Amino acid sequence: MSTAMNFGNKAFKPRAPDKGSFPLDHFGECKNFKDKYMKCLRENSYENSLCREQSKQYLECRMDRQLMTKEPLQKLGFKDLLDENSQNSTETGS
Amino acid sequence: MKSRRNPHTESQQEEWRKRNKTILTYIAAAGVGMIGISYAAASGLGGTAVVGHDAEKVESMTPVKDRILKITFNADVHAGLQWNFRPQQTEVYVSPGETALAFYKAKNPTDKPVIGISTYNVVPFEAGQYFNKIQCFCFEEQRLNPNEEVDMPVFFYIDPEFDDDPRMARVDTITLSYTFFEAKEGQKLPLPGYS
Repeated sequence: MSTAMNFGNKAFKPRAPDKGSFPLDHFGECKNFKDKYMKCLRENSYENSLCREQSKQYLECRMDRQLMTKEPLQKLGFKDLLDENSQNSTETGS
Repeated sequence: MKSRRNPHTESQQEEWRKRNKTILTYIAAAGVGMIGISYAAASGLGGTAVVGHDAEKVESMTPVKDRILKITFNADVHAGLQWNFRPQQTEVYVSPGETALAFYKAKNPTDKPVIGISTYNVVPFEAGQYFNKIQCFCFEEQRLNPNEEVDMPVFFYIDPEFDDDPRMARVDTITLSYTFFEAKEGQKLPLPGYS
């Protein structure tokens, strides 16, 4: 709600991203992973929590192709998926 | 009669001078102290702090699974930029404390390379402090070659402290808007301190 009495301290201040900018994927090297993620979203009512494996794979693709600084997945919030994977020794990847 | 300085007066004057100097020093110190305190108050150390975002938090945070937020996406281009720019999903549902991925798409339909640079906005305003981008495509020049189309990801999370903020209790939807501008040589946009 902004009124005439807005003292200006309500202006949104954008902040730079923690890890900077993603280099552009000019050659679409990770497009397939992006498509898989988008397909998962469409099939799951756009619930992010059901498509985290796919988003993890997309980011791994970027890291493998120097389109993202390599980082342990725990630091990207995927600790729970890694714990799951280590528990399910018979986990089959897609 | 030669006027003589009264030795008592002189030493008393000296004492006064010394005391005045001490008093002045105290006043100066108190003044500096008061200025310091007012700076601290103004910068918000005693008030509403801006929620920080850091790598440790991402690693240790746990999702607030019983809270679901709808994140919607807007895309704009400033008049001078001839890109087609749009979100690839109208919404995603996330929990605070859960990292999430979303995509935009940008195309340069012209026959010349075009460089764009973007900024973003979050609505409602009060939710913006909880919206943390781990990585995105903003604030750096992005060059699209003629007829090139690229995916532009945003990797983000809503700070779990969002769920503890009573002002956010009835906030169910957060809208993220990106706007691209054409980056001209030597142009400086008012962007956050970021190389």
